[in-house]
Amino acid sequence: MANTWGYGAMTNSLGDIQNAKAIIIFGANPAVNHPVGFGHFLKAKERNNAQIIVVDPRYTKTAAKADIFAQIRPGTDIPFMYGMLNIIFKNGWEDKKFIKDRVYGIEDIRKEAAKWTPEKVADVTGVSAEKLMQITRVYAKSTPGTLIWAMGLTQHTIGSSNTRMAPILQLCLGNMGVEGGGTNILRGHDNVQGATDMCCLSHTLPGYYGLSAGSWKYFAKSWGVDYEWLAGRFKDKKMMSAKGFTLAKWYSGVLAGKPGEDKIHNAGTNLKALFVMGNGITSIAQQAKVKEALDNLELIVLADPFVNEAAILTDKKDDVFLLPAATQFETSGSVTATNRSAQWRYQVVEPMYESKPDHEIMFEFAKRLGFYDEYTKGMLIRENKKTFKFPEDATDEIARIIKTIGLTGWTSKRLKKHTDNWHMFDEVSLRGTGPMKGEYYGLPWPCWTESHSGSPVLYNINRSVKEGGMGFRNRFGLEHDGQNLLAGKGSAPKGSSNKDGYAEITAKNIESVLGIKLSAAEKKKIGKNWKVDTSNIIAEKCMEAGIAPYGNAKARAKVWTFPDQIPMHREPLHSPRQDLAKKYPSYKDKANHYRVDTKYISKQTEKDWSKEFPINLVTGRLVNLNGAGMENRASKYLAELTPEMFCDIHPGLAANHGIRNGDMMWVHSPEGTKIKVKAKFSYSVSEDRVFLPMHFAGHFQGEDLSHKYPEGTKPYAVGESANTVTNYGYDIVTQIPETKGGLCRIEKA
Amino acid sequence: MTSTTQNALSTKVGRRSFLKMAAVAGAFGATSAFASSGVTRAATEDEVKNPFPGSKNVRTICTACSVGCGITAEVQNGVWVRQEVAQDHPVSLGGHCCKGADMIDMVRSEVRLKYPMVKEGGQWKRISWDTAYERISKKLDSLRKKDGPDSTIFLGSAKMSTEQAYYFRKFAAFYGTNNIDHQARI
Repeated sequence: MANTWGYGAMTNSLGDIQNAKAIIIFGANPAVNHPVGFGHFLKAKERNNAQIIVVDPRYTKTAAKADIFAQIRPGTDIPFMYGMLNIIFKNGWEDKKFIKDRVYGIEDIRKEAAKWTPEKVADVTGVSAEKLMQITRVYAKSTPGTLIWAMGLTQHTIGSSNTRMAPILQLCLGNMGVEGGGTNILRGHDNVQGATDMCCLSHTLPGYYGLSAGSWKYFAKSWGVDYEWLAGRFKDKKMMSAKGFTLAKWYSGVLAGKPGEDKIHNAGTNLKALFVMGNGITSIAQQAKVKEALDNLELIVLADPFVNEAAILTDKKDDVFLLPAATQFETSGSVTATNRSAQWRYQVVEPMYESKPDHEIMFEFAKRLGFYDEYTKGMLIRENKKTFKFPEDATDEIARIIKTIGLTGWTSKRLKKHTDNWHMFDEVSLRGTGPMKGEYYGLPWPCWTESHSGSPVLYNINRSVKEGGMGFRNRFGLEHDGQNLLAGKGSAPKGSSNKDGYAEITAKNIESVLGIKLSAAEKKKIGKNWKVDTSNIIAEKCMEAGIAPYGNAKARAKVWTFPDQIPMHREPLHSPRQDLAKKYPSYKDKANHYRVDTKYISKQTEKDWSKEFPINLVTGRLVNLNGAGMENRASKYLAELTPEMFCDIHPGLAANHGIRNGDMMWVHSPEGTKIKVKAKFSYSVSEDRVFLPMHFAGHFQGEDLSHKYPEGTKPYAVGESANTVTNYGYDIVTQIPETKGGLCRIEKA
Repeated sequence: MTSTTQNALSTKVGRRSFLKMAAVAGAFGATSAFASSGVTRAATEDEVKNPFPGSKNVRTICTACSVGCGITAEVQNGVWVRQEVAQDHPVSLGGHCCKGADMIDMVRSEVRLKYPMVKEGGQWKRISWDTAYERISKKLDSLRKKDGPDSTIFLGSAKMSTEQAYYFRKFAAFYGTNNIDHQARI
């Protein structure tokens, strides 16, 4: 999504969904996963008679509230959306002016969409041509429409194409940059947005600055350390700029070299030590490999408020450390909600037992490893202090450095003021009143300056930049294939001194784009461009001129740096439709994909997987549990709601295998792994697929590992991890595992 | 018996409240509760109005999902005693799902990890923080020297505050590796 228009984040807000006239949901189940957020969806229905459309492999609880439900075959969202576009283009329902002024590359999309007739879409997706037409008509005719997704779109080998396809559909309908429209991704954990913005990610530095030498130099300077010293901490400068292993496939880093394992490129070493803080790694695909990797490590450190079940999964006998981390209620700091709004999470109580807040643990390790002073210096720089106060000085350090997503305005003082005054904001527009007038709740980023309002609706040109308006970001150059990539005439944000498209603002072009003259003093202080201008002169001047610092460009439907320039359908690696796998094959195998040689076509064509494993496997969440379930299964009351791991199975499918409701059953995966779970009859799944919740751990391939918990720490519910049987397969760009479209075989236990 | 208890017993007692009292007595042991004076006393006027006098309400945010619901946490003498929904929060508007309503129980859960531990010879052993820090640092340091900083991976968290997540990313940078990731990858 960031590759389409600049930022990869929810564009609008939950409250803004109340403005929608239609809501289409792909691969998300907010009624279960975000129940309180879903209240806003239902209000849209009450207030605007908004039509709710759910496209999902399962009849979810969200689907139960929908006006129209389409039960799609896993991994076929791209054909479905091309099918919608086919009908839209045929009837001329697209927003022609919006496309002309604000989108690049739609011609290629038109050509591809023309191939996806409703009949062809029906064959691939399993949704009838009539239903596709009904959905398309309702959605295209009821604007503004909002498009919602979650992991049902991302967890595929083609996830990064799915998440471009949905924006393209919205762009064609002119649903972007408007209230009640947008692409609204529902994040999972409470601070996925904040932790992602801070880039606890192996391919970039905080604020999505990337890993180039230039980015490292900016950070070294901002952290108050010498760049060469920092580079000296790495093996070499090449490794300093090389993407690291990911959460999805770190296990290869340990297992490489063993027969049949994927090859790695990790500075000549395997992974020997694992340091985990607040991460249920028993909820990632390929648990059997994860277990083997854990067994082969030299050191495992697990810091969590509860026993991280990696400690239970492994048979490693020595050097497994469990550190009691405090919960977030035993410390304080900011948290970024799914809509880019920050809130201050105040401390409720002191850390219980011997637990310590995460940062204290990090700081102590930094001391003992000898880099504490350099590591914490960034907190002293802003006010030239001698000692720091965490987290406030860290918040202010982030605000000082992170320009790319506009965090300059997120000072600890302002964020606290918002939480202190949460009763002063409107639930739909997020506008403040009284002392909070002129600001939106939680200052949704970009929040360009210390007096900026925040930006509740991204890419909205009907507001001035000062009030949160902006065009699309100029991120992909000024032209491509001879075509101008800047926005067309008259599509600048309201009140802009420049009515056309313009490039991102630099020290060089600021005077010409803004039509101003800088003083000599300003010229001396100003940074090279808006992303590294710690003087913030660029942003301040831009606000006065109504200019977005990041430029005003076209969104792009075509990403020329991706393996598929426009989204293309490719069957999952393990597809029940071998005929289609031949017609829409996966990618070539990819070398050095986050340090691992990753299989695509070779896995897909290894054999006809569907013969032995004829059933589609879908995983997802339950209302009472979250993530790996570590926290919630430690609650008596929540655990009681689902005391056992289970498998949703259609009674018809179950009957074919002699399985009765409540029987134990085996689910086998193509990787040769298996889990033993309780059969739960449900019509939410069709006869060709089963559903597994993903929150359990503590059993492994039929074995109960309860005896391995330290005394008094066993959660109130344990069970098999669904991810022991989710299949091999990783997104071609992000390496997110393909857990939402694999195969399995079942039998009565 | 204290005079209050006598009074209580001499007045008309409904079946339900009698059972309640019996349960209380049971909990303390049938004799001791009534034998020693000062164990039970009359509720103060404040206590009649509010079971947790002197408590304060803290505005905070749920840690379950990314909706960011408001929580009103009532704290008395450093103990989180009650949790209330935040009726005036602009996103949750007084709503809570079962996970959110359970935050107080998560924090107070009896099965929390209470002290640092290490597995040695297949057995869990309680250790001090200092020992944990020392042994882990020594091992990390030797691996870093022998196999290079890329022999370690750091898996951080979407369950940390933004500031902690930033410092986690920074930690890997100062350690000297890009082997760092978190849940956004799944």
